[in-house]
Amino acid sequence: MTSYRLGSAGTVNRGQPLTFTFDGKSYKGFDGDTLASALLANDQMLMGRSFKYHRPRGPVTAGSSEPNALMTIGTGARAEPNVRATVAELYNGLTAVSQNRWPSLSTDIGAINGLLSPMLGAGFYYKTFMWPAALWEKLYEPVIRRAAGLGKLAMQADPDRYEKSWAHCDLLVIGSGPAGLMAALAAGRAGARVMLADEGFLLGGSLLSESASVGGVSALDFVKAAIEELASLPNVTLMPRTTVFGWYDDMVFGAVERVQKHVAVPSPDLPMERLWRIVAKRAILASGSEERPLVFGGNDKPGVMTASAMRTYANRYGVAAGGKVAVFTNGGSGYRTASDLIAAGVDVTTIIDARAQSADAVPEGVRMIRGGAVVDTKGRKRIDALIAERSGFQEEIACDALAMSGGWSPIVHLMCQRGAKPVWSDEAQAFLAPDVGSAFVAAGSAAGAQTISASLRDGAAKAAALARELGFAAYEMNIPEVEGEYDPAFAPVWYVPGAKGKAFVDLQNDVAVSDLGLAQREGFGHIEHTKRYTTAGMATDQGKLGNVNTIGIVAGMRGVSPAQIGTTTFRPFYTPVSFGALAGTSRGEHAAPTRTSPLHDWAKKNGATFVEAGLWHRSSWFARAGERTWRESVDREVQTVRSNAGLCDVSTLGKIEIFGTGAAEFLNRVYCNNFLKLPVGKARYGLMLREDGMILDDGTTSRLSENHYVMTTTTAYAGEVMAHLEFAAQTFWPELDVRFVSVTDQWAQMSLAGPKARTIMSRVVEDDISDAAFPYLGARAVTLRGGLKARLFRISFSGELAYELAVPSGYGEAVADAIMEAGRDEGICAYGVEALNVLRIEKGFVTHSEIDGRTTPDDLGFGRMMAMQKPDFIGKRQSSRFGLTAADRLQLVGLRPLEKLEEFSAGAHLLKEDATPAMANDQGWVSSVCQSPTLGHTIGLALMKSGRERYGETIVVWDGLRGGQVLAQVCPPVFVDPENRKLQG
Amino acid sequence: MSLTLYHRHVLEDYLAGFGEKANPNHIAVIRRPAIFSILAHRAHEAAVEDALKPVEGVHLRYCAPDEWLVVSTTLGAAVIENRLGEIAGASIVDQSDGRALLRIHGPNVRKILAKCVAVDLHADAFAIGTSANMLCCHVSVNLARTGADTFEIVVPRSFCGSLFEDVMEMGREFALTAAFADS
Repeated sequence: MTSYRLGSAGTVNRGQPLTFTFDGKSYKGFDGDTLASALLANDQMLMGRSFKYHRPRGPVTAGSSEPNALMTIGTGARAEPNVRATVAELYNGLTAVSQNRWPSLSTDIGAINGLLSPMLGAGFYYKTFMWPAALWEKLYEPVIRRAAGLGKLAMQADPDRYEKSWAHCDLLVIGSGPAGLMAALAAGRAGARVMLADEGFLLGGSLLSESASVGGVSALDFVKAAIEELASLPNVTLMPRTTVFGWYDDMVFGAVERVQKHVAVPSPDLPMERLWRIVAKRAILASGSEERPLVFGGNDKPGVMTASAMRTYANRYGVAAGGKVAVFTNGGSGYRTASDLIAAGVDVTTIIDARAQSADAVPEGVRMIRGGAVVDTKGRKRIDALIAERSGFQEEIACDALAMSGGWSPIVHLMCQRGAKPVWSDEAQAFLAPDVGSAFVAAGSAAGAQTISASLRDGAAKAAALARELGFAAYEMNIPEVEGEYDPAFAPVWYVPGAKGKAFVDLQNDVAVSDLGLAQREGFGHIEHTKRYTTAGMATDQGKLGNVNTIGIVAGMRGVSPAQIGTTTFRPFYTPVSFGALAGTSRGEHAAPTRTSPLHDWAKKNGATFVEAGLWHRSSWFARAGERTWRESVDREVQTVRSNAGLCDVSTLGKIEIFGTGAAEFLNRVYCNNFLKLPVGKARYGLMLREDGMILDDGTTSRLSENHYVMTTTTAYAGEVMAHLEFAAQTFWPELDVRFVSVTDQWAQMSLAGPKARTIMSRVVEDDISDAAFPYLGARAVTLRGGLKARLFRISFSGELAYELAVPSGYGEAVADAIMEAGRDEGICAYGVEALNVLRIEKGFVTHSEIDGRTTPDDLGFGRMMAMQKPDFIGKRQSSRFGLTAADRLQLVGLRPLEKLEEFSAGAHLLKEDATPAMANDQGWVSSVCQSPTLGHTIGLALMKSGRERYGETIVVWDGLRGGQVLAQVCPPVFVDPENRKLQG
Repeated sequence: MSLTLYHRHVLEDYLAGFGEKANPNHIAVIRRPAIFSILAHRAHEAAVEDALKPVEGVHLRYCAPDEWLVVSTTLGAAVIENRLGEIAGASIVDQSDGRALLRIHGPNVRKILAKCVAVDLHADAFAIGTSANMLCCHVSVNLARTGADTFEIVVPRSFCGSLFEDVMEMGREFALTAAFADS
């Protein structure tokens, strides 16, 4: 093994060696290396296998556009697939494994696909695996997935933390190369709040790889000084290791910060990654430009990389890509690489320039081939020669690395994520950033600037202009002199003719020029179709390197300008973002906030099992010793309420306090029934309709004083009703004096129901609550024994004598304890929402199972509540629509099985006897079902065509989903105490 | 029979695990704050606001047009009810049990809160004395700046446990602690 580490060049810290492993073998690198640079330094050019043909591949870039050098880094649950080795920061103990190969990277059985490549061209799968269809999921798809692919997920829970954070700034600068640094300095010195984000672990961008001097010092020293100044400004935030991946509405940028990806032992107190949502008044895109590969025969072999990548490995990391380097270029970049490598002591044999002539200076001692081309490369795991061609003559040139340069493309991804397409420039021979308004502008080489000095000027000028726009006094800056810069001008070469091997245009997806031709011939000519048919531009790199060549080659095939071909669609994310970062802390139990009732702890200590109802956790039933199933507990609770008394937490119901001289009139308009004359001290059941005449919600509203009411809503619709009221008050009737505020959280509310409720309640409440003093539907403030102020309502959702007692939340648990104690001798029990549901079905009371947005008051038997004599109420007009008054509407009925032991379920449909089970014969459906302990059999509520006329009819309850039919009798929906004797008692 | 009823704070169990020592970044959970909703009625909007400003011992928190919270950590609810009851054109509602008051303080408080709320809390944008309703860890709260490094969160009781856990998680990297405080 040869060391390719150069003597002294580079910014890596040679005083801090690091040990890491790749495919189980131990290597040494330095602090400041990437995984790719460290592997190259150890002569490990082979870093991966390609997606389809399993061809051996090495790194082709030194940055985030890397298509080839994808690896799995980390072990166990922390193993992360498809990490680009070219941006993975090296740390001590890093463990990397190659992907998509078996049994090993150097001997990969899957490479046989390469021999089959004539059969595996674009569209191969679509054409081959069409028949029989059943085999697609069972055979073809799994087999293809195994043969072709990227890395594999660990399939274990991620042990690390992730966070999300917001940030706000005047100017967001994306990229910290020459333009970005100057932009941050210009706006930062002016006093603007600046954020400077860069995907690299060192700020400085392309300057870190530059051999030119800036402002009389090395580019690296210039960067250091600039960063030092920026770090000293309190209004500037530096964000290295942060990729701005998306541009969203209202100038919100998405970014991901790799907080601990470079750390051997992550701290449990820090997130692994942090997702930033940056709200920027202005933003500058200083993301630089991407060097294009050349498309020639054998251009994918290990050892072939872009000229700028080779320069970066040498200048920044002190690593030579090879010992004997050749250059194939169409512009100045190749020449600069040659001279930088020579300066670093690397042997450069030949420069092959596709152009017949150029003004670029040829380094001394290097052979020059003008008007030439590379048509093939030799070697497998690293090239050992290339075949050059000029004027029809071919020649083999020995080399172990080949730098290629096909010109430059500005990186305009972010500016194109919201619909604008990049604009082709014939002059620049590149797609340039579109005009997306003055708030977000490109600067430096992202804006087409070609040289370092032009980028420095552009960044400073554009940032100063934006800062002035925001009212900051930004002064002209001195632009540092750049010495030794080169002219990167190039002549476009989309495709090098005469290829003897496969010429790849998309390296990650093994898309060759021949595939593009096939797509055109087979009718997939539109560039979006070409992309889908060939997979060019897909997967983790999204065609960062290959897309522009794809477009250029397709344009050439069709004889048009790239402008007419256009680009495919740019979407977030710029580079892959982990799901962990996107989820942040919102996972597991914290996926959504939870709401707990003030009686939660009371329920817990009484043995409650909880159920999630929206965000609320409600007590569902209270199991006692010896009870084996939830049904046993629920049956016991129901029977206790019917015979003694039970206490239920109803704190989750929405509670809205209503004030104003217009409150009575307002309520009269939002409810379909009368509310104008509700006496003080009384509660009334109310139905609220939507404009379309369907029921929105139900509940009770109590008049506490002349102009003061408290409304209860259902748990589920508390928010909707509040919004409905505010909307009606603000837009329909702004002339009414009425104000609302939610007090749902202020009151712990509990329902005490059962024949012994009054006896128990009177032991807790000081006031006289005899039937005469506090009759059914009474509602008023009371005082508890001991002095606590409370509110008492005589309302019932069980059909029993019942009270709802509301106390300030902090006292909820203590008061519930006191009631349980006061009722102990009366045989009180706690009951949950399951028993509550049974009690209400037995009594024929409706919930949102029946109020499902499709039912009118009349459907549910509330027709007489509709006060049509009122001048107006919400829903009145549309209630007279033909469809809402039709005779065969579904109406609420009760169902009881003919055979006592038979059961049916909610959701089942109703059929006439002897009707064929089919939806064409549908008579309605079952909305609520329970096992009634009071009656000893299943009962149900159903919505049935003309239901109220059909009491006594035998009907088939047809459960097509679960299977089975049960005969049931249609009956009135009230099963228990239809005369309301218990309620009024 | 006279009942002896104990008042229980929603975070009682959540705070049981914390030690006595408050770190530089700390949440003081006010044990019994007085919190009232104030609603100004039509044509009284300006008068109500003017009448609220001079009330001693309370802080005014903006919620919505013509709606405020009045918060006090020193006066009892009964005292405030008396003082506010005289304001013509206003409806007042005691929310002292319906809201919890968390005072978060420390050198990293803005970094912690940046993970909780989407609002810019830079002093130029959210000065001392400013307050607004906003989402904090998905929960609707009223957030006020009461000092350079001090903010107060007024959160509905039912969401308080969930919100508290989330804020503590956001403060983990800065060793955020929490404890009850009387004022």
